[in-house]
Amino acid sequence: MSVLKGPTRFLAVVGKEIISVIRRPGALVSMIAGPFIIMAVFGLGYVGRPQYRAILVIPPDSGLPQSAAEYQEISDDTPVEIVGVMADPAPARAALADRRADLIVIAPSDGEARFKAGQQSVLVVEYNTEDPVSAIYADTVAAQLSAEANKLLIERAVRAGTDQAAQAGIPKIPAEVIAEPTKAEAHNLAPTRPSVIAFFGPAVLALIVQHMAVTLSALSMSRERFGGIIEVLRVAPIAASAILAGKLVALLVLVGGTAGILLGLMLVLLHVPMLGDPAQVVLSLAALAVASVSLGLALSVLADSERQAVQLALLALLASVFFGGFVLDLNDFALPVRIIGNALPVTHGIQLAQDLFLRGETNQFWRLGVLAAMGLVFFAIAWLAYRRTLRATA
Amino acid sequence: MSATPSIAVRKTDDRVPLGVSAGPAIELREVSRRFNGTVALRQVSLDVPRGSILGLIGPSGSGKTTAVRLLTGILAPTAGDVRVLGEQPRHFRRATREQIGYMPQGFLLYPELTAAENVDFMASLFGLLFSHRRRRVREVLELLDLWTVRNRRASALSGGMQRRLELACAFVHDPAVLFLDEPTAGIDPLLRRSVWQELQRLRDTGRTLLVTTQYVSEAEECDRVALLAEGRLIALEAPEGLRRKALGGDVVEIETDAPVDAEALTEHPVLLVDSAGTRLQQVGPRSLLASSNNGASVSPALTEAIEASGAHVVAMREHRPSFDEVFALLVERELGTDTTRADAESEREAADADRT
Repeated sequence: MSVLKGPTRFLAVVGKEIISVIRRPGALVSMIAGPFIIMAVFGLGYVGRPQYRAILVIPPDSGLPQSAAEYQEISDDTPVEIVGVMADPAPARAALADRRADLIVIAPSDGEARFKAGQQSVLVVEYNTEDPVSAIYADTVAAQLSAEANKLLIERAVRAGTDQAAQAGIPKIPAEVIAEPTKAEAHNLAPTRPSVIAFFGPAVLALIVQHMAVTLSALSMSRERFGGIIEVLRVAPIAASAILAGKLVALLVLVGGTAGILLGLMLVLLHVPMLGDPAQVVLSLAALAVASVSLGLALSVLADSERQAVQLALLALLASVFFGGFVLDLNDFALPVRIIGNALPVTHGIQLAQDLFLRGETNQFWRLGVLAAMGLVFFAIAWLAYRRTLRATA
Repeated sequence: MSATPSIAVRKTDDRVPLGVSAGPAIELREVSRRFNGTVALRQVSLDVPRGSILGLIGPSGSGKTTAVRLLTGILAPTAGDVRVLGEQPRHFRRATREQIGYMPQGFLLYPELTAAENVDFMASLFGLLFSHRRRRVREVLELLDLWTVRNRRASALSGGMQRRLELACAFVHDPAVLFLDEPTAGIDPLLRRSVWQELQRLRDTGRTLLVTTQYVSEAEECDRVALLAEGRLIALEAPEGLRRKALGGDVVEIETDAPVDAEALTEHPVLLVDSAGTRLQQVGPRSLLASSNNGASVSPALTEAIEASGAHVVAMREHRPSFDEVFALLVERELGTDTTRADAESEREAADADRT
């Protein structure tokens, strides 16, 4: 009969953990409804980057048209909305200063004449932002505007000269072909054209799985460690590994159930596509959950207090948002930061989830191995530290 | 320390765990424990025979909880040897742990679990299998008058019920040895009485209990009492023995029909040669306290001396000071006389610690 005692203890921990969590309806609601509502608000409310409001400054002697309608083509081809055309740069700069415009484009006063004379002119683009990401984007927009303006100038010059060329027996080439001999035509080969909510849905799911797993496990461990119950556990005939394994299984059940509900809501209410094999999706989320619960256990046994355990869980969330590939591509970062990012379970979870949901397949299954290894390492750290805590007799 | 008096165990089922010798259930030999230079326990030695209750009594900070934590293996002694059921607590085997029940001072139950679930969890933790567990959980809850609230969450129970529930958790697995750190703290006198009755019932079925308490009046409930103060074991006696130790023997309160002078009586020739070693203390003009090693009676020599002084004994009764008085006397006496020695010991231990 003593062979049954081990499973009895293990199942007792599993049952106790599950009951402790589900008896807190507030926590359950915030765990399931909270993330789903946030995800829905994010997806439905996100409209992407707004167009840059641009004012064109066209000096009267530039030879360029003064009507805003003439520049409509620029608006069509660039993320720029022309909100005004002025002759004088001063009021345009005033509008930029008080944020009525995002950038102003100042055309050279003698651009056409200099072009005909074979000289290059300068197209000045001014913007007003402290945000380095916006500044990079504005630089790109400026380059695009410059290209559009060049095209306009070339077309005008070519149109003026084509009749003479035809008379000289030179084949008549359309001005827009001379101005733009090649034209890019991009084709997106991805199997889906997800909406913003659909694109971020799998990543949000992965993030929620990790956050929930880390937070629940950190709270569960720290409540016991810093409450009186640890005294009884120290005396009880149960090993640290059995307690941790019991918690791991219980939390996997809870996280798995919650993730299943969230997944259903995502598919049904938010219409997030899931092109991949459901079994592969489940496997990926399970691997992510194992690594995340183990991470939470490790964080909580290293914490000095319940409060610190919660803080560490929040830090893990913050790191995941920034370095997990959730908002910014991990390749945008320097190598040391990429290493940190790859040490987070969610980084691998997001990649797998996005591939399996939106592409229907992945060539990144090696990430499952990484998640499994993370689970083992974090669990081993938690076990070593917890064993020392339980048997601390020095 | 004085030799351990033998205590009659009322009834035991001679539960001796497998592989464990049938010696005392609990043994401490010259045990000391120091925390960062502060001595929490100083060379404490005591035995607790199987099937008895030892009350560990002393003021806050006297070392009671440290002693319990040493006995449960949570702490290791700085010096000395600790044995419970014949094993060092630090190296308890799993089977031995199953024989230990422990109720810590600050034990917090799982608030989301019901009363029955908390007890069931503890029973499972200590290895009770399902078939036996259901019956046992019910038994324990009924015993502690918690069966009617078994489905109520622990957080919704009153303070007294929570303490009883913690007690239920400690002995649901029917341990051979129970360590209870202030089980009656914060509960009303009636409930305290019922808790003690339950502890005595456990003792009567052969369990060994070590119970700490700040309520010195509870000493009477124990088979033996260990009095701790400032980490030192001041006394280890049966409750009555403690009274005798504090008062210097059996004490009788005597009333006379005429005034008597205790000092004059002491000088009386018959008392000077009295083999009972009678000592007198003046309480009032016509009342005396007489202590002797002869039992709670007045020696013929004292009666003769009183009558020689022109008075007669009109009433005589056993003097039973409260345990508060007894402990105050013992602590005062021991700590007062031993301050110098304790200081010297502290200095020596501090020097030892520095060297190591």
